[in-house]
Amino acid sequence: MTKINYTDLAWPVRDDVTAAQRRNWDRLGRPGTWLTGAERITVAAEARNAGNCALCRARKEALSPYGVEGSHDHLGALAELEVEQIHRICTDPGRLSRAWHQGLRDGGMAEERYVEITGVIATIVAIDTFTEGLGLDPWPLPQAQAGAPSRARPTAAKQQMAWVSTLSPEDAKGTADEDIYGGRPVVGHIVQAMSLVPEEVRGFFDIVTKQYLPPAAMMDFDNEYRAINHAQIELIAGRVSALNQCVY
Amino acid sequence: MTGSDSDGGGVADGAILLRFADAVLADDVAELAAAREVIAKSMGGAALADTAGVVALFNAIDRVADATGIPLEEPKAAATADFRAAIGIDEFTAAGEKGI
Repeated sequence: MTKINYTDLAWPVRDDVTAAQRRNWDRLGRPGTWLTGAERITVAAEARNAGNCALCRARKEALSPYGVEGSHDHLGALAELEVEQIHRICTDPGRLSRAWHQGLRDGGMAEERYVEITGVIATIVAIDTFTEGLGLDPWPLPQAQAGAPSRARPTAAKQQMAWVSTLSPEDAKGTADEDIYGGRPVVGHIVQAMSLVPEEVRGFFDIVTKQYLPPAAMMDFDNEYRAINHAQIELIAGRVSALNQCVY
Repeated sequence: MTGSDSDGGGVADGAILLRFADAVLADDVAELAAAREVIAKSMGGAALADTAGVVALFNAIDRVADATGIPLEEPKAAATADFRAAIGIDEFTAAGEKGI
């Protein structure tokens, strides 16, 4: 069983970062809300494989990714729509479009699976990019655990501000998923983005608050919480987002 | 946040932090190793680990934002309109997709 451990590294990784990554690595292999544990591991493996896809490389270099046709180089374990979702999000996220997303939906992609797959991608990217940055090999994927997905959709989730349905903080009040917003009446859209599958919000934001900052610390400029300061953190964040052509 | 960065955006150690972020996203192993060593030597190992954490987190969170099609919050959009236009963010494909 893989247990993420950075104690042999020359540079000190904070214990809370390691712990959050361990929790989410374990979660990768567990049955999710709409995907089985085996499916979640398969998605993670395909996300890692996306960088080897010739079609994705050609699309990335093209003026428009929609002008390049072909087949993805994939591991053969997922439906074509899911491979397209995973590869595009991994290799060219800045040029995703509403029409592209709608095309997946029209082709039969269930939005709940779409959101959970996005959550798995986010988890594997957050941890794999971290190990890459520190010069380490990626951690072996965990073993899939048996069990059925819970298939619990928040009843108040609806189409409102994103391409996918979301659960607003107001609608979450008094429900089993109220905790994902920590009692805050107003939260950023990024926190609501995967709220159709609350477990993905809980898991991913466990990493967000450790590798970045918890909400209360973001605007607390009188105190510093990391070995790099607020200005340095935001400089890095802005640079990465610019390189990814993310306008959010 | 792109282009010439010799002054690191006016942020302390900004140039070496940007060099590291660029190397990670470029998958440039040799450049990344060099960038890593510079940060570790001048800022310390804890700073390197925290920098790697932020780069990794935003590499992931950008994908969540772009895959779900969330718009920029209206107050943020209004407050940043001038410099988004000035530095070219509005030219990104995603800007039109997000109603910016």
